[in-house]
Amino acid sequence: MAADAFRDRAALAGVGYAPFSRDSGVSTLSLAVDAITAALDDAGLTVDDVDGLATHRVGDSTPPWVVAPSLGLDDVRWYLDQFGGGSVSHAIVGQAAAACALGLADVIVCYRAINARSEFRMGATGRGSSPTWGAQYQAPYGYFAPPQQFAMMARAHMTRYGTSTDHFAQVAVQQRANAVLNPRALRREPINADDHAASRWVVEPFRLLDCCLETDAACAVVVTSAERARDLRKPPVAITAAAWGGGHMFVNEGRRDLTVTGAAALAPRLYAMAGLGPGDIDVAELYDCFTYSVIVQLEDYGFCAKGEGGPFVASGATARGGTLPVNTHGGFLSEGYVHGLNHLAEAVQQVRGEAGERQVPGVEVALSTSQPGYVMGSTSALILTGAR
Amino acid sequence: MTAPRPVEDRDSAPWWAAVREHRLTVQRCDGCGALRFPAVPICARCRSRGSGWREVSGRGTIASWIVTHHAFLPAYTDAVPYVVALVRLAEQDDLVMYGDLRGIKPDEVEPGLAVRADFDDLEPGLTIVRWRPLA
Repeated sequence: MAADAFRDRAALAGVGYAPFSRDSGVSTLSLAVDAITAALDDAGLTVDDVDGLATHRVGDSTPPWVVAPSLGLDDVRWYLDQFGGGSVSHAIVGQAAAACALGLADVIVCYRAINARSEFRMGATGRGSSPTWGAQYQAPYGYFAPPQQFAMMARAHMTRYGTSTDHFAQVAVQQRANAVLNPRALRREPINADDHAASRWVVEPFRLLDCCLETDAACAVVVTSAERARDLRKPPVAITAAAWGGGHMFVNEGRRDLTVTGAAALAPRLYAMAGLGPGDIDVAELYDCFTYSVIVQLEDYGFCAKGEGGPFVASGATARGGTLPVNTHGGFLSEGYVHGLNHLAEAVQQVRGEAGERQVPGVEVALSTSQPGYVMGSTSALILTGAR
Repeated sequence: MTAPRPVEDRDSAPWWAAVREHRLTVQRCDGCGALRFPAVPICARCRSRGSGWREVSGRGTIASWIVTHHAFLPAYTDAVPYVVALVRLAEQDDLVMYGDLRGIKPDEVEPGLAVRADFDDLEPGLTIVRWRPLA
């Protein structure tokens, strides 16, 4: 297949949310319905226009085959119920874009609905370890939570490149400054590096302010063909590139450098499909389950040299007003954690120019990424463009 | 709640059986001789399906490590802070195992620290591999 694949043949026509909280008090089905209907309304569409549904989950959410009949949809002709957490968050949207480009469906809603604080806390907090294949080699040592998995890799990066907790702090501080401008964000009080240094250790080298929020919320996006998107309520945002892949189990990281993620292999495919490079990206919404994951992705997506992610952040390049504003909504660290789709929804709003106080001037191209492959080995990402 | 117990699978059962006998083993490919861990039924290098089990020295170095301060399960309330390391085995550079590191203070762990495997019989039928500084 040509490198450009289905470039610009599908578009994001709507985004929607269920409110972010620490305890929604409602089911994940209720959250999903709220986000889906909000996204359809944003697009100027109704439930009756939907003929495709996609989600991803890890035994923590409501599937398409429950959502569809709940909405009164009895002829969904394309659906996807993908196993996985954040690493596949953008893959499901990429798959939906491919389906729309091929005409397999007209209007696909991709959603992620979670009570990730009040019901299903990721990474075993109070819940026992997940029965995954690799767990037998890790869980007996009290090693099963995402902060542990990412801290292990962060330490290797620190050892090899001199990346420091001061660099991590700058990621947290810059993103909080963005969240101050975001009415949706759960954490809006400004923080500084001293606040970061004073926050408790969770798993060294990560302090509390290095870790994302755990959030009850839902987010949904509407995918349709480029042609149909032109006639809808909001300016169309083209899916210029989508890439997903991987499969490298994290128990085997010794087979390669611990400081390199699956994103390094994926990025060239992504940029080739877009016909663009890192220098063309105006804003980047990078999967920030932890501060370190931003740093390593800045390297693996080619925004700076390998090992330079920490100094790149400290230079201010990734802050609001910098050359590459990152996580303009505050990210998972400060807005809330919906496993990836809230990054994509923010990217759409930035490209549309409707991000309010936090709008970055003149955004034409946005990158939005998923968990970079340290867990489950897979990753995914999208490049979006507006009018060019 | 007690600490999670390992759930072995049909590929890893021989590894766990050897651990119960206080032997650290890895798979050795019949086709190309490469060592591999964890247990899988095919060689990722030469795709040979044949393999056997080989005992290794139990020596290695620390590739990375973390210090867990937050007890993610109640079973770990008294254990924190504890160190879990990613150990690169001496026999082959891409052979790694996770394990907790005992016999050293968390702030004394260094990259490349030489370690040795240690076997801990937790209860009848359950033995796990831990790591200790070699020195």
